[in-house]
Amino acid sequence: MSKLQLTDQELLNELKIRMENSITSLNQLTELNKELKLANVKLNESESLKSHFLSNITNELVNPFASILGLSKAIMSIGASDFEKAKPLAQLIYSEAFNLDFQLRNIFAAAKVESGQTMIDINNVDINSLINSVIDVYGYKSKQKKLTVNFNYTTSEEYCNQFIFPTDAEMLKLIMSNIVNNSIKFSSAASNIEINAGVLDNELFISIRDQGKGIPHDHLERIFDRFEKGNKEINSVNEGYGLGLSVTKAYIDILGGRIELTSEENKGTLIIISIPKPTEQVPDGFASDGNEFLFNDVGNQTF
Amino acid sequence: MADNFPIHYLYPAAMFFSAEPHLVHTILGSCVSVCLYDKERKYGGINHYMLPFWNGQGLASPKYGNIAIEKLIDQMLRKGSRKENLIAKVFGGGEVIDTSSNLFNIGKRNIEIAEVMLKEEGIKIVASDTAGKFGRKIQFNTQTGAVLMKIIQRTVATNTTKE
Repeated sequence: MSKLQLTDQELLNELKIRMENSITSLNQLTELNKELKLANVKLNESESLKSHFLSNITNELVNPFASILGLSKAIMSIGASDFEKAKPLAQLIYSEAFNLDFQLRNIFAAAKVESGQTMIDINNVDINSLINSVIDVYGYKSKQKKLTVNFNYTTSEEYCNQFIFPTDAEMLKLIMSNIVNNSIKFSSAASNIEINAGVLDNELFISIRDQGKGIPHDHLERIFDRFEKGNKEINSVNEGYGLGLSVTKAYIDILGGRIELTSEENKGTLIIISIPKPTEQVPDGFASDGNEFLFNDVGNQTF
Repeated sequence: MADNFPIHYLYPAAMFFSAEPHLVHTILGSCVSVCLYDKERKYGGINHYMLPFWNGQGLASPKYGNIAIEKLIDQMLRKGSRKENLIAKVFGGGEVIDTSSNLFNIGKRNIEIAEVMLKEEGIKIVASDTAGKFGRKIQFNTQTGAVLMKIIQRTVATNTTKE
């Protein structure tokens, strides 16, 4: 017998291996099909949510503008003698304009992410003052609901007890604005919001805990999808387009970080964000370890 | 002459297109970059996607191949390119993360989506360097369409364990 011929045992082994291989690929295929099915469902949902968005946007842009116009007209007609009456009206204008501005920021940010034009601009950011300024900006909203917002920044010796962390300030600001805005929106009146931040092992951690109505369990996994809102009724108190958390997630992704949500209905939600310190190669495009990444030496291939 | 072109560092999930000459740098692991170049108009664009398909989660960003490729072609056409003048170069899709538990060969699937979509669009892939167990750094000259590539060995990822 020539050596090329297989013994029965070898043949059996070979068959066994091939069987196993085809079972593995069959399993993979099933898994992929499952993913595909899910993606299809999501696409359909996304499509209908998109048309929902268009009907929403009319409501949510036109109504605030109408009230801004009406309120400013009212202010204009106030006589010089009772100028005091203008103040509450101006406050209302401010809050309408504030909401509009915030929603537009999210829309522009989402559009930029979707067109792939988001640029990261890493700078040394004073996290403490950034978060404090966000809390300040939303102060009038938390006051309306009589909420107490506590913020604590834990410094460490590693950072010389300073509040500086290198990251993209504008992105972090929008992330925090969305998170704080959501917490305020869903908090029960006169409750507390706890915000903690600090740097540990080259990673920035921020946690926000509210005592609100929480997020229903079946909604948790869809919470970062675009146009997805907790309450889909058009004139609900839940204003916004359902873009805030998708922008938040996209920004955190771009910064290489993570966001975790734990929620218990009617008890509240805890959100933990972690953002790693950017590696040196990312901000300026080159690795610090020298020539390996440079092009003007040997070892390049040209295409 | 290319030395004084502005350098643009392309982040993952982003895209770059400009009619002005640029050198675009990007670093690829299992991600894939499609460089599109208009032979007639002498400009080009590039994407850098991380996953093959958008599954409806989050934003429909060019983090996903099907979106990144479509958007890049769209952008070139909107600028006035004609599809028959476009050529493509495809890089990346390596297996840089240990593949024992990989999510069904992300690198491979990233390459596949580029090949399939470009074929559907009738855009020829004139050069490519894909797959393999290493990363790549590429530099795309948007004026000439030339791509310089450097292999990045996975030394950092595997040979040194965390201290």
